Amino acid sequence: MARRALPALLKWLGVALIAAWSLLPILLIVMSSFKADRDIFSTASRFAFTPTFANYEQLWSRWGDFFHGLWNSFLVTAGATILAVLVSLLAGFAYSRHASRGLQASAFFLIFIRLIPPIVITLPLFPVVNRLGLNDTHAILIVLYATFFVSLGTIVMRTFIDQIPRELDEAAMMDGATQMQIVWRVILPMAAQGMLAVAVFVIVYAWNEFLFAFIFTTTKAKTAPLVISEMIGAVEGVEWGVLFAASTVQLLPVLAFVILMQKHLVAGLTAGAVKG
Amino acid sequence: MNGRTPLGAIALVGPVQLMVGCIIFLPAIYVFWLSLNQSSFGQAASFVGFANYAKVLGDPYFWRALVNTVIVVAIVVHVELLLGLLMALFFASGVPFRPILLAIVLAPYAVSEVSAVVMWRYLFEPDVGMMSQVLAWFGLPPIEWAVKPNHGLAMVSLLSIWLHLPFSFIIIYAARLSIPGDLYEAGAIDGATGWAAFRRITLPLLMPALLIAALFRYIFAFRLFSEVWLMTGGGPARTTEVLAVYLYLEAFRYNAFGSAAATGWLLVLASLLLALVYLRGLYREMFRKNG
Repeated sequence: MARRALPALLKWLGVALIAAWSLLPILLIVMSSFKADRDIFSTASRFAFTPTFANYEQLWSRWGDFFHGLWNSFLVTAGATILAVLVSLLAGFAYSRHASRGLQASAFFLIFIRLIPPIVITLPLFPVVNRLGLNDTHAILIVLYATFFVSLGTIVMRTFIDQIPRELDEAAMMDGATQMQIVWRVILPMAAQGMLAVAVFVIVYAWNEFLFAFIFTTTKAKTAPLVISEMIGAVEGVEWGVLFAASTVQLLPVLAFVILMQKHLVAGLTAGAVKG
Repeated sequence: MNGRTPLGAIALVGPVQLMVGCIIFLPAIYVFWLSLNQSSFGQAASFVGFANYAKVLGDPYFWRALVNTVIVVAIVVHVELLLGLLMALFFASGVPFRPILLAIVLAPYAVSEVSAVVMWRYLFEPDVGMMSQVLAWFGLPPIEWAVKPNHGLAMVSLLSIWLHLPFSFIIIYAARLSIPGDLYEAGAIDGATGWAAFRRITLPLLMPALLIAALFRYIFAFRLFSEVWLMTGGGPARTTEVLAVYLYLEAFRYNAFGSAAATGWLLVLASLLLALVYLRGLYREMFRKNG
């Protein structure tokens, strides 16, 4: 490329700055979760300290709620992901293969709907959810989380399915396959990349979401982020160590997942943004 | 394209449309009806016209929340775009260990708002936090986010930028990667290098992506709730509320569903307005590119 190369020193400085900005906050709480109380705010032991599992033991013995919350988060995330990916696959297939004025209008509707802020719909949903007895259940969170991602999911799936040659489904149709069989046997195996991209969005969102969990769950279906928020609130003489341990446990699985799925995340973000 | 939609296609888009329709669209319409009524929990609604809007627009706390929201959104989105652009250009100029650095940059995307609040409160804890000590070392005062409203909003902005920079960066970086290298070679022959190449080649070609990123981030930043709620709770004395926090408090603390609903519709209208302005800008941009 015909661009002036930055001096190497400046380049390394940039790399260091970017890495520190992105990683330092995460690194500090992960490290501090292994610190004894007296080391947490001590300058001398910021990076050098004797690691201890005391905070994790405290978390385990005193915050059983948190592990229950993790399990709830897992169930809700799994449910929302499966639901969102499946319905997005079906709709993405329809938008990729069929065209009509009605479909075009409904596609516009999907984009338009993303403009409505989640908090607005909690107002009418709250009494309805209570009356239906869905308050504090996994089901309500699963449906809400999936619904808020099917618009993006459909757009992303459509972009990916557009790249699958139509000849394949036409051939299957000649062989007498029904529409559902085509989706299941032809499209699904080839659209795995797109489905992964959608799954990454939903998993990260559902695992971390706060607002809906805050409003719609109280005890039984309470998710991990909600329990952590209670730990921040409950401890105005904040028990930082336990809080760091909980944050670390909540964060590490999804962080590892995002890094592993980096390629799909980037593909999904660009597919969703270009069309969306 | 014809007017008929095949039955099969209707069945395929049915689940998605049903979910979005029942859970987002109908409730949103219902909120509009709510906003024209006086109601709270377990109480029959009575029609009051635009009284709720008048009440909200006459509430100094609403205006405070609106101003706070606009300030935070303006700071967050623009700083994010600027940083995202700089980082995209930096990456495109060739960086050592690019795949690892890319993973590092994406890391905050995986962090929940709750954990992010824990992290940044730890960093800026008065007197003992690492950043507070760095500030003191430079002779700067600490950020007293729990006491001073401006400091609270600054913390919220910082946190939001940190959480969402990966999104803006990816959108811009992907667009930067799709600019063919020949353009720069051709530009160099015509004498366009460095700043001129950026002004004449990079910036115009990145404009659609910048607008898309801006559009999404404006709309999503406008809904800001968790960061504020968990960082300051809207306090001290309701000075750091943003619109979503104001709405939440009206509905769930003060039981004023009517004014909460009115606030909700004002939020929806603001989102639509933002999208309109930016979508028009985007279409113009694309039109110019084609023509």
